[in-house]
Amino acid sequence: MSDIKQASIAAFELLLSGDQTIWEIISLSFSVSLSAIAIASPLALILAFFLAFFQFPLRRALIALFNTFMSVPAVVIGLTLYLLLSRSGPLGELKLLFTDKAMIIGQILLSFPLLVAMAHAAFQAADRRAWETAITLGAKPWRAFFTLMFEVRFGLIAAVVAGFGRVIAEIGCSMMVGGNILHATRNIPTAIALETSKGEFAQGIALGVVLLIMSLSLNAGISLFQGKGELRT
Amino acid sequence: MSGLIDYQGIKISLSGKLILDIDHLAVKAHQCTLVTGQNGSGKTTLFKIMSGLLRPDSIQVDYQGLQMSWKQAKPLLQRDIIYLHQQPYLFDASVADNVAYGLYRRGESKNSVQKKVCQALDWANLSHLAQRHAKQLSGGEKQRVALTRARILAPSLLLLDEPTASMDNEAKQQTAHLLQRLKEEGVCVVISSHESHTVDHLADHHLCIEHGKITVIEPVKKSAKVAVLNHAKNTL
Ligand SMILES: Nc1ncnc2c1ncn2[C@@H]1O[C@H](COP(=O)(O)OP(=O)(O)OP(=O)(O)O)[C@@H](O)[C@H]1O
Ligand SMILES: [Mg+2]
Repeated sequence: MSDIKQASIAAFELLLSGDQTIWEIISLSFSVSLSAIAIASPLALILAFFLAFFQFPLRRALIALFNTFMSVPAVVIGLTLYLLLSRSGPLGELKLLFTDKAMIIGQILLSFPLLVAMAHAAFQAADRRAWETAITLGAKPWRAFFTLMFEVRFGLIAAVVAGFGRVIAEIGCSMMVGGNILHATRNIPTAIALETSKGEFAQGIALGVVLLIMSLSLNAGISLFQGKGELRT
Repeated sequence: MSGLIDYQGIKISLSGKLILDIDHLAVKAHQCTLVTGQNGSGKTTLFKIMSGLLRPDSIQVDYQGLQMSWKQAKPLLQRDIIYLHQQPYLFDASVADNVAYGLYRRGESKNSVQKKVCQALDWANLSHLAQRHAKQLSGGEKQRVALTRARILAPSLLLLDEPTASMDNEAKQQTAHLLQRLKEEGVCVVISSHESHTVDHLADHHLCIEHGKITVIEPVKKSAKVAVLNHAKNTL
């Protein structure tokens, strides 16, 4: 018991004293996951919009595909990417394995289906009249798309946050293609999982607290935002 | 009377069923046309095609002296014709922002937009609602905001889909009053309706649509108009 207590105190000391290693791990985690979401979101939103608003061949098959990919375990995506990026793999030339770029690619693959599926649901709930109204009032299709995004912004923000939540805490893929290398590819989940077993309790607890605070504040932010929206309707 | 726009050979099937089959439909400038037809006769479908929102299986458009295919006509129709939904859709913003939407899309400056919005809201007697959130309005108020939002763009043709359906009498009269003024300003309007005497007196032409075909086209006689107008006045 006193072990845990001591480790907890040490954890807060680590965080508050601005320990370089731990803040490096935290900032790598966020920069990788934010990059992945920033790259994946625009494409995912556009695709979700097309899936919801237009009829084209393979539309249903695509929706089913993304719904399936949503539940593929991170470690399977990690393994696939590992095989592709490894020196003898088809993309081995790029020398990306065990870099943060590989982690970003992995997290893009991981979040993309979730983003598409959730944004698709949001766009489907949108009113077709919103699109037609924008067009008939002279908006070009691009502009009408932004108007529509604004109309369903709560659903879209929920999608992006859920996507971020999935990748910031995933471990399987980051471990496979990142390799948990200190100062290079060690992020919060790999550090917690792999370093704690080596006795780094304080660091593990500190990083866990960071994840917890992040998810609490994201959720608080969303409900605040949505609460404002509800008042208006 | 000069023609504004001519549609020829409008055909559309939805889910394998022929919904519209119209040989020729001419809209004359500065005229008000009333389109009547039962529920499901194809009024909404026709309006969406006329305004470039719904792609028909075949069509020929004669506009601004040019014969055009759908592909050529669509951007022009979307630009110059405004379609108002049966239940108008207002964006999740204030009334003033809703009315301003189309002006901003034309790239007008903030100053000029604000001035025009003010005038337009004044015109429709909606100034007191300017800062209200659009989603909070009543059905009748929404309809009038949507009308104002369309009028401010001075469209060459305004398509109103059952503008007074499901409104109480007062709201109907207010809307009819706005339509009357639109007409006096020379805006070309086509109104659909399956009942209601509220808008009859505005019409110069009457067009009947049955099972996707136009069955009657007739100019409304002056005497009939006066009679209807009197009827409307008496019911007020
Ligand atoms: N997307 C669609 N798929 C299949 N059928 C459709 C579709 N949209 C409309 N229809 C059918 O087309 C016909 C005409 O519909 P439309 O909405 O144009 O009628 P309307 O005259 O506007 O009726 P109302 O007076 O009730 O508004 C109806 O029989 C309707 O069921
Ligand atoms: Mg209709």
